[in-house]
Amino acid sequence: MDNARSSAVVTLSVWNALFLREAISRVTSGRVAWLWLFLEPVLHLTVLMVIFSMIQRQVTQGIDFALFLAIGVLGYNLFRNSATRSMAAISANRALFAYRQVKAVDVVLVRAFLEGVVQLLVALLVFSGMALFGFNAIPADPMGVFVVFALLWLAGTGLGLILSVGSTLVPEIGRLVSLFFIPLYFLSGVMFPPSMLPAALFELLLWNPILHGLEVMRAAFIPGYHLLNGIEVGYLTAFAFASFFFGLAVHRRFSSRLMMQ
Amino acid sequence: MILVEDVHKRYQTQHGPGRWVLQGVSLTLPSTLSIGLVGRNGAGKSTLLRLIGGVDNPTRGRVERRCRVSWPMGFGGGLQGSLTGRQNAKFVARIHGHENDVNERLDYVESFAELGEAFDEPVKTYSSGMKSRLQFGLSLAFDFEVYISDEVTATGDAAFRAKAAAAFANLVGRAGLIMVSHNEGTLRQFCSAGIWLHEGRAHWFDAIDDALKAYRESIAK
Repeated sequence: MDNARSSAVVTLSVWNALFLREAISRVTSGRVAWLWLFLEPVLHLTVLMVIFSMIQRQVTQGIDFALFLAIGVLGYNLFRNSATRSMAAISANRALFAYRQVKAVDVVLVRAFLEGVVQLLVALLVFSGMALFGFNAIPADPMGVFVVFALLWLAGTGLGLILSVGSTLVPEIGRLVSLFFIPLYFLSGVMFPPSMLPAALFELLLWNPILHGLEVMRAAFIPGYHLLNGIEVGYLTAFAFASFFFGLAVHRRFSSRLMMQ
Repeated sequence: MILVEDVHKRYQTQHGPGRWVLQGVSLTLPSTLSIGLVGRNGAGKSTLLRLIGGVDNPTRGRVERRCRVSWPMGFGGGLQGSLTGRQNAKFVARIHGHENDVNERLDYVESFAELGEAFDEPVKTYSSGMKSRLQFGLSLAFDFEVYISDEVTATGDAAFRAKAAAAFANLVGRAGLIMVSHNEGTLRQFCSAGIWLHEGRAHWFDAIDDALKAYRESIAK
């Protein structure tokens, strides 16, 4: 038929529609939901700062500790939110599969993209706020920071793609994942520099790609930040691309089973 | 034209693969005809509509749509509860490639559905009648060559049913229609041809009355 649209055109209009739809529900679900997007990480940081100043520990030498924490918290949130919100995308958008133009992979990718945009805005606002209050929150290597940001997002999205399929086919996976993210917070070096860890534990934590991401991001942010041996941005890059393409493949494999109620 | 070639369908249940709902359905559906789909409950009418609408994939065989086919209307699905009627309508307009004339489509949906101020309220606050008004208005706002309707005329109050019937009558002749209904009057009113689904197979009848007759005889047994 001559009036049929090409697949690419259909997909683009679906992404556009889904993005606007997701963005609206992200900022209007609940009272002042948009404000909480910013307040949540700020409160999180404030609580950590209060706790650390009370126990009076000289955790890091020569580094602005607030900045160290901010990078950790924001970077970790970026990864976690990309993964968990993507994971929930299919069940949250089930009603929309009544339109054959909308595929499961579309709702996951669009939601992950929106989450990346939201976290980018939050990070820009938090760091600008910190700079206003006199912290040295201007990155030394902005491009490097952005690349690591993108890699953490891609890694979270890849994990989210895989988990979205997993949790749709096996609902128990969703419950296990939320449990899993609690210890991951402490194993990703959000609150302490890995140099404080015993060598044996550090060797073990090197399996965690988030640790690599947070450390490399700090090094790009703070001039003279000491990177331990074994921290490699290449490991995060490999993890990000591998999980992303594996996630796409899993979606392709199970596409028809995902659409069923 | 819609080609349905040797379509088999069974659903995955919690206890492994379920029974075969459709076993070897082959049909060529012209895009200018109004077709009524009859069969007892669980015969696979809605399943066949979903497959024709492309919302689900057949287990075996294939469905080819060579024209613009609507989504299965009156499905209960397709609306996001947390968004308003207007936002839902915008979404549907956008995925159908009407980014440029969104407002005209919205005006049409708004005036057809007659929801008043509720058009800007979240859909989860709607009654089932209000939902079907919105869904019906939505499906008529776009120019399809074949419309798929699953019991859509059965909902709503008397005034709206009359309006829906008039809209359907207007469609007949201009576009194709494939409808499921348990109301024989509705089927006779709108459909010329009929398909009787029985034991996983589809039987084609050029006249809807013959399809209804075959269906009635199968229940009488």
